Amino acid sequence: MNTQLRRTFYLFAAGFVALVGVMAYWQVYAREDLTNHPSNGLQSQRSQETPRGLIFAGDGETVLARSERAGGNEYERIYPEGEVFANVVGYWSNRFGASGIEIGQNNNLSGTGEPETLDELLNQFSGGPETGNNVTLTVDPELQREAYNQLAQSNTGRGAVAAFDPQTGETLALATYPSYDPNVVIDEGFEEISNEPNNPLLNRATQVTYPPGSTFKVITAAAALEAGVRPTDRFNDDGTYETPGYSFGNYRGKAYGNVTFAEALVFSINTVFAQIAVDRVGPEKLAAMAREFGFGYEYEDYPLYVAPSDLGLPPEEWAEGNTAPISFGQDRVVSNVFEMGLVASAIANDGDMMQPRLVREVRSSDGIILDRPTPRPLNEALPEGTARTLNEMMQGVVEEGELVAAQIQGTKVAGKTGTAENPQGEPHSWFISFAPADDPEIAVAVVVENGGVIGEDGAAETPALTIAGNLMRAYLDRPAPAPPSTQPNLPAGVPGGGPGEVLDPAQRPAQPSAPDQPGAPVDPFAPFRNAAPQQQQQSQPGQPPASQQQPLQPVPRPQDEGPG
Amino acid sequence: MAIALLITTLGFATLIFVQEAKSPPLIYGAYYAGTMVALYLGVRLWLPHADALLLAVVTLLTGVGLVMIYRLTYDVSGRENLATTQAGWILVGTAALVLTALLFKNYHRLFNYKYLLAAVAVGLIASTIFFGYEVNGAQLWLKVGPVNFQPSEFARIALIIFFAGYLADTRDLLAATSRTILGVQVPALKYFGPVAFVWAASLGLLVFEKDLGSSLLFFAVPLLMLYVATGRIAYVILGALLFAAGSLTTYYLFDHVQVRVQTWLDPWSDPNGTGYQVLQSLFSIADGGITGTGLGEGFSQAIPEVQTDFIFSAVASELGLLGSTALLLAFLVFVYRGIKISLLAADDASKLLAFGLTSMFAIQTLIIVGGVTKAIPLTGITLPFVSYGGSSVVGNFILTGLLLVVSENAGRRAAEEAAPEFVEGEAA
Repeated sequence: MNTQLRRTFYLFAAGFVALVGVMAYWQVYAREDLTNHPSNGLQSQRSQETPRGLIFAGDGETVLARSERAGGNEYERIYPEGEVFANVVGYWSNRFGASGIEIGQNNNLSGTGEPETLDELLNQFSGGPETGNNVTLTVDPELQREAYNQLAQSNTGRGAVAAFDPQTGETLALATYPSYDPNVVIDEGFEEISNEPNNPLLNRATQVTYPPGSTFKVITAAAALEAGVRPTDRFNDDGTYETPGYSFGNYRGKAYGNVTFAEALVFSINTVFAQIAVDRVGPEKLAAMAREFGFGYEYEDYPLYVAPSDLGLPPEEWAEGNTAPISFGQDRVVSNVFEMGLVASAIANDGDMMQPRLVREVRSSDGIILDRPTPRPLNEALPEGTARTLNEMMQGVVEEGELVAAQIQGTKVAGKTGTAENPQGEPHSWFISFAPADDPEIAVAVVVENGGVIGEDGAAETPALTIAGNLMRAYLDRPAPAPPSTQPNLPAGVPGGGPGEVLDPAQRPAQPSAPDQPGAPVDPFAPFRNAAPQQQQQSQPGQPPASQQQPLQPVPRPQDEGPG
Repeated sequence: MAIALLITTLGFATLIFVQEAKSPPLIYGAYYAGTMVALYLGVRLWLPHADALLLAVVTLLTGVGLVMIYRLTYDVSGRENLATTQAGWILVGTAALVLTALLFKNYHRLFNYKYLLAAVAVGLIASTIFFGYEVNGAQLWLKVGPVNFQPSEFARIALIIFFAGYLADTRDLLAATSRTILGVQVPALKYFGPVAFVWAASLGLLVFEKDLGSSLLFFAVPLLMLYVATGRIAYVILGALLFAAGSLTTYYLFDHVQVRVQTWLDPWSDPNGTGYQVLQSLFSIADGGITGTGLGEGFSQAIPEVQTDFIFSAVASELGLLGSTALLLAFLVFVYRGIKISLLAADDASKLLAFGLTSMFAIQTLIIVGGVTKAIPLTGITLPFVSYGGSSVVGNFILTGLLLVVSENAGRRAAEEAAPEFVEGEAA
C-alpha cells in the first residue's frame, strides 16, 4: 500500500511542478503578449491610479501639469497653464489618448520605466508607491507666454513660433495659435475641440509644414557660398529669370540691376538666387545642403512629433523650372518653424546644429536627478567660416534692409524674411533670426499663416518680423533700436507695447519699406534704394506655375494630430 | 517543531506587518494570531505526537488568505467586512478542529458508522436540490438559520471516511478477484457495489447541481483511494475511461459544461463575455511578472469572484512568480506531510483516511490553480484555506483535525515502539 501512496504523492508533486511551470509561462514567457493585449485594461487602470509626475517649465518653478486625486484611487491631470503650453505639454486622457510631452515622456512621467534609483528598485520589489518622475522642460515660460500672446494678436491669429538656444539646442519657446485647453480636452471636450474649423489641436510649430518662401534663401546662400560664390560677386537682375517654359520675377515686379550676392540676400532677389541655384549650385548640392540643415530629418529624439521638412521631388528629377523656385523656397518646398528655427540656430552656432532638446532634466519624485542631457551637436551643417559669412550676410538683411522691427539697440541681429505664396490665400509671413549675432543666445523662427496680407500698394504685411523682434528683445531684455530717423510713433519695442496691431507697412514710419520712401541718410545701398528695398520679395506674381511639370503648388500638409 | 513554531511566528510577524501597512483592523489580526498560536500549543499538548507542521502550513495559508481577502475587498463597497468574516470563520474552523481532535481522538469509532456517514453525505448533497438556492449558476448552498453553507464541503469528508472504512475492510477481496470482463479484472459486485453506488450517487447529484469542481473531486479521490487500497492500476485505467465517457456525455448534455470547455479552449473569442473571467485572471497573473506588483498594487479586483475561486490569481499578480510558487510549495508541504502521515499510519483504514483527505486537498488545489491559469478548464472550487468561504475553511480545518488525530495515533505507536530503547535516555 505504501508503494501506491508514494506513487500518488509523486503524481501530486508532478502536478504542482507543472503548475509552477504554467505560472512561469504566463508570468515570464507570455507576459509581454498579455500585457499588450488589447483586451487588457490593467495598464490604463494602473496609469489612472498612479499619480503621474509633474511637468515644469524651464524656470523649474512654473508647473505645467500635475496630478490631483479626483476621488477614490484615481488621479486626474491638471494643466495650470492651459492653452499656452498645450502644444508642448499635451494632454493625458484615458478616453482620448495622449499627446505632447505627456506621451513623449510617458515612461518617466508614469514611473513605468526601468527603475533608476535604489528606492525605485525597492519600491518595485516591495510594491510601494511608484510615483512618476518629474520632468523639467527647457521652455522659458515668459517667452512662451509672450510668443503665444503675440501670435494671438497677429493679423490672422494663426501661426507658430519656435525659439532655440543656438549653443545648446534647448527649445526656449514652441508656441502655436490657436491652441486648446487640455483641461477641457480631458474633461469631455475633445470632440468639440477637434471639430473646430481652425484646428486648435494641431501643433503648427511642428506638425504642420508650410512653404518657407524666402527664408529658404539662407540655405541656398549657404550652398552658394560652399560652391564658391562670394558675397561680393556681382550678378545682374533684369527683373525676370527665364527657364525653359517659365519665367520668374521678383517681388512686386522689381528689377535691381547689377547687385552683389550679399545685396541679393538683403533685397531677397529671386532672380539672382534662381541664377545661382541653377548655374552655380545645381540641384544635387542644393538638396544636399537642405539635408545638412535637417530637411527630411524626423528628429526622432525630440519628444514631440516633428513633421519632416521636404523639398518635394528628389533632386535628380528637378528641371530648371523646379530648381529656380526651390532656391527661394517655393515649388514644393515645405518646412515649419521648428526646422527653420534650427536652420537659424545652426548658422548662429558657427554652422553646428545642436541636438534640439525639450527636456532639461528628469528627477525622481524625491528629487534625485535621473537624467540631465548635455548639449551635443547633431550635425555640422556648415564649416565655421561659411557660417560666419552667412551670419554677416543675414546681419546685413536686418541692418541694410532696415528691418527696424527686428532691430535691437546695441545688439546685432541677423535674420531673413519670407513671404511664402500658397494656394490657401494670402502669403504666409515668415521670419527667421538670431541675436546677438556675434554671440547668439536665441534663434527664432516665426510663421503667421496667411499673414503676408498684400496691401493696396502691393507690399505685404510682415507680422512675423514684428513678433520675432519682440520676442528677441523680450528674451534678451533689451530695448528696441533708437529711431534712426524721425519716428514719433515707434513703439518702444517693449514686449506687449502694441505688438498686436496689424502691421501695415504704410503705417510704420519706422520702416522705410514703402517704395516711395527714399530711406535713411546713411544708405550703402543707395543704387537700389529707388528700387524699393523690401523686407520680402516674392516670385511670379503674374505667373501661376501651373503646368505639367509643376502640377502642384506647395501645399501645407497638416499631419493628423496626435502623438507621433 | 521549534523551527515550525518559529516559522509560524515569523510568518505572523510578516503578515501582521503587511496588514498594518494597509491599515486594517489590527485587532482582528491579533485575535487571529492568538487563536492560531493557542491552537498550535493546544494541539502540541493534546496530541503530542501529531504532526504539528500541518498547523504551521495552515497558519501560513489562512494568513495569506486573510491578507489577500482584506486587500481585495476592503475598499469594495458591500464587501468591506469579508476579511473579518473570514477571520470569524477561521475561529469557527479552529473550534471545529479542536472538537474533531477531542471527539475523535479515537477516530476508529468513525469507521463503525461508515454507512451512516455515507448516507448523511449523500443526503447533504441531495438536500441542496430541494432546499438549496443557486449562486452563480450552481445550486450548492443551503440556508440553515442565519448561516449559508455549502454542504458538499462537509459531505466530501464524510464520504472519504466512508470510503476509507469500507475499502479497508474489503480491499483484499477487491484486489483478489479473478473474474475478468474484456480482459479487465472486475471484482465481485457484492463488494464493489456499495462503493460504486455511493460514488455514482454523489457524482450524479453533483453533476445535476452543476458543481463541476466538486464532481471532479468526488470522482478522482475515491478512484485514487481504490488504487491505493488495491494496488490495481487497472482501476485507475477503468476510472479514466469512465471519466472520459462521462465527460463527453456531460459535454453534450449540458450547455454550461460546453461553455466551460469552449471558454477554456478559446477565451479570446469572447473576451468580454464568457472568457472575461479567465482572461482577467491571466492578465492579472501576467501583470505580476517574477516579483509581482507588490501587495496592494495589483489590479486583480477586476476579476469577478477574485476573493474566492480566483484568489490565487491575486496572489500571483501581487506577489509574482516567486510568491505564487512559494504558496504552491506550502500546499505541497501540506500534501507531503499528509502522505507521510498516511505512510506512518498503522492500519489500513487510517492510511486510507489520511490519504483520502490529503489527496482531496491536493486535487482541489491542483484543479483550481490549474483552472485560473487556464491549464485545465475552469471549475468553480475554492483554494483550500486561502479562498474566502466559511464552509470551505471549516471543512478544511476538520480535514486537518482528522489528519492530526491520525498522525497522533501513528506517532504515539511509533513512540511506544521506540520507547523501550530510550527509557534511560528519557530518564536522564
